[in-house]
Amino acid sequence: MRIDHSSSLLPEVTRGKKIQIVVDGNSLDAYEGETVAAAMIAAGIWKFRLTRNHKHPRGVYCGMGICYECLVRVDGVDNVRACMTPVVDGMKVETCKEVEL
Amino acid sequence: MTESYELAVIGGGPAGMEAAVTAAESGVKTALIDNFPDLGGQYYKPLPESFKVKGKTKTEKEADVLVGMVKGLPVTQVRDALVWGIFPDEKHGGWLVALYGPDVPKKIHAQMVVLATGAYDTPVAFPGWTLPGVLTAGATLTLAKTQRVVPGRRALVVGTGPLLLSVAAHLIDAGVEVPAVCEASKPLGKAIPYIFTALGQWGRIEEGAKYISKMVAKGVPYKMGWTIVEARGVDRVEEAVIARLDAGYQPVEGSEQTLAVDTVVAGFHLIPNTGLARLIGCQFEYQLEKGGWVPVRDETLQSSLPGVYIAGDGAGIGGAELARLEGRMAGLAVAVQSGHLTHDQAGSVYARLKPQLAQQRRYARMLGALFTPQPGLSALASDDTLICRCEEITLGEVKAAVAAGARTIGEVKMVTRTGMGNCQGRMCEHGVTNAIVAALAAEKATHQQVGFYSIRPPLHPLPVEVLADAAEDAD
Ligand code: FES
Repeated sequence: MRIDHSSSLLPEVTRGKKIQIVVDGNSLDAYEGETVAAAMIAAGIWKFRLTRNHKHPRGVYCGMGICYECLVRVDGVDNVRACMTPVVDGMKVETCKEVEL
Repeated sequence: MTESYELAVIGGGPAGMEAAVTAAESGVKTALIDNFPDLGGQYYKPLPESFKVKGKTKTEKEADVLVGMVKGLPVTQVRDALVWGIFPDEKHGGWLVALYGPDVPKKIHAQMVVLATGAYDTPVAFPGWTLPGVLTAGATLTLAKTQRVVPGRRALVVGTGPLLLSVAAHLIDAGVEVPAVCEASKPLGKAIPYIFTALGQWGRIEEGAKYISKMVAKGVPYKMGWTIVEARGVDRVEEAVIARLDAGYQPVEGSEQTLAVDTVVAGFHLIPNTGLARLIGCQFEYQLEKGGWVPVRDETLQSSLPGVYIAGDGAGIGGAELARLEGRMAGLAVAVQSGHLTHDQAGSVYARLKPQLAQQRRYARMLGALFTPQPGLSALASDDTLICRCEEITLGEVKAAVAAGARTIGEVKMVTRTGMGNCQGRMCEHGVTNAIVAALAAEKATHQQVGFYSIRPPLHPLPVEVLADAAEDAD
């Protein structure tokens, strides 16, 4: 969910330009300046990858690029950290596509 | 040609920015490297450039001042740059800092380095902690502050430390329902010896009070001596079980409560991010209340390696104020060592810094004493809980390795593959070491004996081309 009201701790912001990204074939609204992870979470998508052995779902954990739980495929490139990658208009994101690093 | 600097500061948070500013003010040729697009780090959490904000919080204004100082000085900013290794430069002396990023040089040379790599939430394993919807306090605050996004509609906040109050208050302000905040520690009783230290930190107490008042207004219980024992769900969190802890931090049977939530925010205080310091071979010592393994430093914050300084939370958890002072201290020491300042010139600044540092260290000791996650919390994981998230190794497998004779974390790693995944052990070292120490309680094993993961470059997984390229370069 995006926060759309102002509060003392989180004063109102105007987001960057509205753009579209495509996640697993579905178009999502996103705003310039957002990370892929934020845009996905805002849309309620939590399953970012499946683990290698047990195929268990994983999503954002550390949010700062160090745990590698948020790996997705971006424009054909595997194992991209969604929490560290800014959205770009027309970007194609695929979840649960992890191959071994 | 490799660009050359007198100083490379790694990390653009409070400590790194202060170090760069202090050094550059004295004329030190400085590069400031950070792996995010904007300076500020995990404490200041800068908004992306394309977001425009109507008002700013006190911390955001403080960040603006500091970033403004960096920009006003001849500091070369190298942003969006991952440092994946630091190597001694055999030919010219000093260090080669290896970088990876969209628009950065492959490496830079620096005579000296300041490591200001900060900290991250202590990863504490409990059943269900790998489910989507369980995320750290840091991740939650980053989403809320820098992206204006919340992870769910109903979030349980668990862990230990003052950050929990901040997380809860931000979630409440954002409209998220918070059924409870579970603080594993019982800080009130333990705080009494620190009352005077605390009074010296009035500003922070006020801030905490503001957070608590938001919780009170919404009737959110602050449950001290409670924590999570399980997160459940299929594809994401659907419910969480909390329980009261006894004096040894073990859940009290029969005290469990089940809460329907879609999010669990886990913030078990912080541990220093020490990967680079380990990789280059700095000497370490174990200090539980500073977050575990911390680099050995002298008064000027120089590590055991000459010309390598370490400042801020990356050298032991102490908070942003201490980090800023340490950054200044390290920057000053570099200015002296590189001949830009005489000892006399530095002396007066040093005399001013010293009492401030002492005061902040007292505060850091208080925080450490009150909120360091106690080893007992490792018992939250059960034998089938994954302790190494990357390689999917359970606590039971770690125990079995110890039963079969492994005594150090290195041996456990060899037998089980813990710490060999993408995160380089950052997410499992805390849990694995505690598990080994606990399994060897009869032998009175210590963290010193069990040790820590040795770290080799690359510090982060890199595309193979990049590594191949670097190898060729080195030949
Ligand atoms: S959530 Fe940890 S790397 Fe992205």
